[in-house]
Amino acid sequence: MRFLSAIALFALWMVLSASYNVAHVALGAVVAIIVVWLSPKAAPNARRFSLTAAIAYVPWLFIRVLKSGFHVCGLILKPGLPIKPELIKHKTELSSDGELVVLGNSITLTPGTITVEVAAGELIVHAIDPSSQQDLVSGALDRKVGQLFTAKESG
Amino acid sequence: MTWLAIFIIAVGLFFLVVGSIGILRLPDVFSRAHALSLTDSLGAAFVLAGLAVYEGFTVNFLRIVVVLLLVYLMNPVISHATLRAAYRSGLRPSVREEK
Repeated sequence: MRFLSAIALFALWMVLSASYNVAHVALGAVVAIIVVWLSPKAAPNARRFSLTAAIAYVPWLFIRVLKSGFHVCGLILKPGLPIKPELIKHKTELSSDGELVVLGNSITLTPGTITVEVAAGELIVHAIDPSSQQDLVSGALDRKVGQLFTAKESG
Repeated sequence: MTWLAIFIIAVGLFFLVVGSIGILRLPDVFSRAHALSLTDSLGAAFVLAGLAVYEGFTVNFLRIVVVLLLVYLMNPVISHATLRAAYRSGLRPSVREEK
């Protein structure tokens, strides 16, 4: 796992640096190894991130973002500005930090809903009109985010 | 390929313009943040995707993808931090009165 992190960091270095002579490539490799060596190990009870679920999640989220994007466009462009903003309390069964980060960021990325406050088991969400909240209230988003993280890593 | 890129960038510009109009029309900081998420998660995303298509598969393509990922990771964090600061300092969203 740490080896993969070093490879990923080195790949990022190669993409961002414009020069491919020996000195720069070697410097990138050394820095990648040092950064991974210095960074803390994952906590033993950390939940493992499922890559296949993540690959399925990204297009699903993007389609949601696109749909609600057009919806918010319609709201803004309509002459009467038919918005009905409100703060809603969203109860969630997700509790680990990783899950809450993905859930909160997904809510905020989607136009029409923004996470205002996060606590374990409860999020305060600002929604611009009732139809923006549907996926959230029905729990579809919670389930999808829950699938991203598989059972606890053993050991 | 160039025309596809132009089309994608035009879609992005549409979202950027609508987002700017939203910033002007919406009443308070909370609903204005929705216009902001429109410009970032769709406007900037489509403009960058159009540039990536125009560039073709080169090193610059990969760089644009990195920028795209960074925008998608940072935009919700910034919106959330702004609104949480507003909420904690006592601001509450304005509720529109029914006519």
